[in-house]
Amino acid sequence: MAIPALNPNQSDLPDFDPAVAADTWIVIPVYNEGPVIADVIGSITPYFRNVVAVDDGSSDDSWEALQQTDAHPLRHLVNRGQGAAIQTGTDFALRSGARRIAHFDADGQHRLEDLWTMTRGVAAGECDIALGDRFAGDTSTIPASRRLLLRLAVLFHRLLSGISLNDVHNGLRVFDRRAAESIEITADRMAHASELIDLIAHSGFRVREYPVTIRYDEYSVAKGQRWTGGFRILFHYLVGRIVE
Amino acid sequence: MNMFQIILIAVLGALVVLTVVAGARKSIGRPVAVLVLVVLTVGILAAIDPDRTTVIARALGIDRGTDLILYLMTLVVLQGFFIFYLRLRKVRRELTLLVRRLAILEAPGAPRPGAGPRSNDPPPSDP
Repeated sequence: MAIPALNPNQSDLPDFDPAVAADTWIVIPVYNEGPVIADVIGSITPYFRNVVAVDDGSSDDSWEALQQTDAHPLRHLVNRGQGAAIQTGTDFALRSGARRIAHFDADGQHRLEDLWTMTRGVAAGECDIALGDRFAGDTSTIPASRRLLLRLAVLFHRLLSGISLNDVHNGLRVFDRRAAESIEITADRMAHASELIDLIAHSGFRVREYPVTIRYDEYSVAKGQRWTGGFRILFHYLVGRIVE
Repeated sequence: MNMFQIILIAVLGALVVLTVVAGARKSIGRPVAVLVLVVLTVGILAAIDPDRTTVIARALGIDRGTDLILYLMTLVVLQGFFIFYLRLRKVRRELTLLVRRLAILEAPGAPRPGAGPRSNDPPPSDP
């Protein structure tokens, strides 16, 4: 499947610094993204050469596709969820000496420009944890029902964790090494995004949101969360908070 | 005593034996064993003399003994589901740890666990 070209010229990444990019490891959780994963990774590696792609027990040809890329391919033999895949990639990157860790979605919905802006911010000490905020950027492309669902999630976290963020379920994040080391995701499935926000809220690290643009094409919308998924996340998250 | 009562008592009696053996072998905890034995004993008594459950039910403000049994069953089943759910969560968590560990061990050119630099031996500092 062709995804829109997200390969900008180097000049499109303001103040691009190859040394900063090389110290930043990009963690990509991959689950059944065979059609697009090679393109997505191929658009990153010319700039960020350290990419860890964690195939989370895909049933399609994602694993084979990963072999053709310049990413470090890791594989979960059994599907354990996005949170688990991110944590595996993070562990690998930290052991490999990463100075910064970035989370990047496998479906091509994030932009390299935003990744670089956030990486630059963390490297420059603007914050310890950079989170993508799709509501500060161009919001016209966000489907209305998705927007409402995300707004509810934001409200939920404001009430429960007391953290004031614009966008709590954005998959684009950059962590300074110390922050990445201290935050360990235990929620396997999509509830990890909520868990992460809690951990961040209580970590004491400096958090900053950066405007990002999410590309909602047919492919990423079909793979995104629906309302039922939202309620399932809520259930797992609440039970997790009570019993663990 | 009808056929059903005999079968029920036999099954509950077998469960009592299994529970006692399991308790003696410490494959289940003592409090759990005692609790299960109490429940089974009550079940056997109720099977022998079903009318007595009505007496107890009346004392609790419930009309029929069968209703009392039904309520108790509901509580036991729900509690059972919840315990299994917690167990399942724990097993899933352990599976995740194994799968994640294996992924790193199998990675081509993987750094050995614990061999990489940690923050307490700091990487070169930022300019």
